[in-house]
Amino acid sequence: MPYTGNRPGVVLALGIGLVMSAALSPAGLDGAAIPAWVWPLWLGVFLAALAAFRRAGYPIVEALRRIGWLVPLVLVFTVPAALVAPASQRLLIFAALASRALAAAAAAAAMAIWLGPSGMVRAVRQLGAPSRLADVFEAMLASLAGVLRQAHAMLRAREARRSSIGAWSLVAAAPVETARGFGRLVASLLLRALERAEALERARRARGFEP
Amino acid sequence: MHLPDGFLTAGVMVGTWTATGAGVAAALRAERRDDHHMPAGVLGAVAAFIFAAQLVNVPVAPGTSGHLVGAALAAVLLGPWRATIVMTVVLAVQALMFQDGGLGALGANTLDMGIAAVFAGWTTASLTARWLPTPRGAVAGGVLGGFTATLSSAALTSVWLGLSGLYPLGGIVRVMLFTHTFIGVLEALLTGAILTTVVRWRPDLVLGLQTRQQPAWGGALVLGSLSVAGIIAAFVAPFASGAPDGLEHAAERLGFGGRAAAWWTAPLPDYGLPFTMGPGLETALAGVAGTVMVAVVAWGVSRGVGTRRRDAVHR
Repeated sequence: MPYTGNRPGVVLALGIGLVMSAALSPAGLDGAAIPAWVWPLWLGVFLAALAAFRRAGYPIVEALRRIGWLVPLVLVFTVPAALVAPASQRLLIFAALASRALAAAAAAAAMAIWLGPSGMVRAVRQLGAPSRLADVFEAMLASLAGVLRQAHAMLRAREARRSSIGAWSLVAAAPVETARGFGRLVASLLLRALERAEALERARRARGFEP
Repeated sequence: MHLPDGFLTAGVMVGTWTATGAGVAAALRAERRDDHHMPAGVLGAVAAFIFAAQLVNVPVAPGTSGHLVGAALAAVLLGPWRATIVMTVVLAVQALMFQDGGLGALGANTLDMGIAAVFAGWTTASLTARWLPTPRGAVAGGVLGGFTATLSSAALTSVWLGLSGLYPLGGIVRVMLFTHTFIGVLEALLTGAILTTVVRWRPDLVLGLQTRQQPAWGGALVLGSLSVAGIIAAFVAPFASGAPDGLEHAAERLGFGGRAAAWWTAPLPDYGLPFTMGPGLETALAGVAGTVMVAVVAWGVSRGVGTRRRDAVHR
């Protein structure tokens, strides 16, 4: 179950605190030693993230699958950093960096899942974010599902009209055709999104809401 | 280009969050002063559109695909201040809801893609559109702006990674610059393709290049020009020829080159820094430092001149 309590701001602040405690602990860069206490800390943050996933109603396997999506991004940064480290430290630094990044990312993912979109908007407001930013944040989340649905429908329609696999040719092989196709599709998406937002705004005003 | 958590030091995080906070506060203030109110719902829709456009991957070569970042596009459509607000919200939603970029690294990511990229892109697009005041000029500005925005963003990202001790600074700057040149070309191509259609069907939506919509145009132009000048100083200066200039060449040929003597020691002699970081990087950082110093001096002089002129008018 997503969080429905009155203090989503506290949940967000605690989540950010957990992420920061994992992300800022030393991981052996610049020749510094890796203290022994960081390994149980990262494990603790990871387990807390799994607990938050369970609390939000996600089975452990599903939680691990979601965290697994973050592994390639972590590796993109971790592998080169380990390669430029001293040869004797490479494996240790790789393990420390990967553990640190995964623990932090898992905590952030768990917090997002537990709070959900509406909880996140309330949390951002409770933490005192500028009202204009919070308004645009809320409006973006409100439009997001509709815009993504439109984008998927347009991509599906484009793919259905192409003889080859995929919505576009390769940029390297046919740059003009690919860019033109992308431009027409994505610009149409922009026009639809804006015209929908303008219509919603007109409807709000007609019902007495002031911007 | 979204930095995850766990790769930046506390100092870099605090510094980037502070700069981002100042930039977003300036954007909110400028937007509040704008007479042409734009409802939060419309800005939210543009943010949702940019998020969706980033999900539409384009195949580049077998096994590789790329996507639009949209900072320059947002700047051309909305102007730099509103684009900063929109990009900040897009990056915040990506970090908070989708773990695309870390929470601690959100300051750095917003500074790279939400502020520097927007201002670098908008300045390039705006200057091009002034030079070519036609619909084609707007598209050409968007294309050049997309390229500049990508490079400025990549440059800053590599600086944060280098300062955090993850990779050697000189090496990461070169690698990032090289790879992002191709990504910048793709961004430019996609931005141009979108703008071509928008300019054709709804030219009224390209608000960012209309100067009357920009009350804080001067400030935005200064920030953007500084970003572009900084990029040029950082990236072009290290590739400049090491051969002597015309006067030095003539002095050497005529035999009095060796008689040149310095009256005082400059703070950054021969575009180098007092500490060793590698020749290319030293030149780049000295170039950026020089650009900032020149900007500060020019600002001071212009304020002095402006005050005198105002006084003369009052008298």
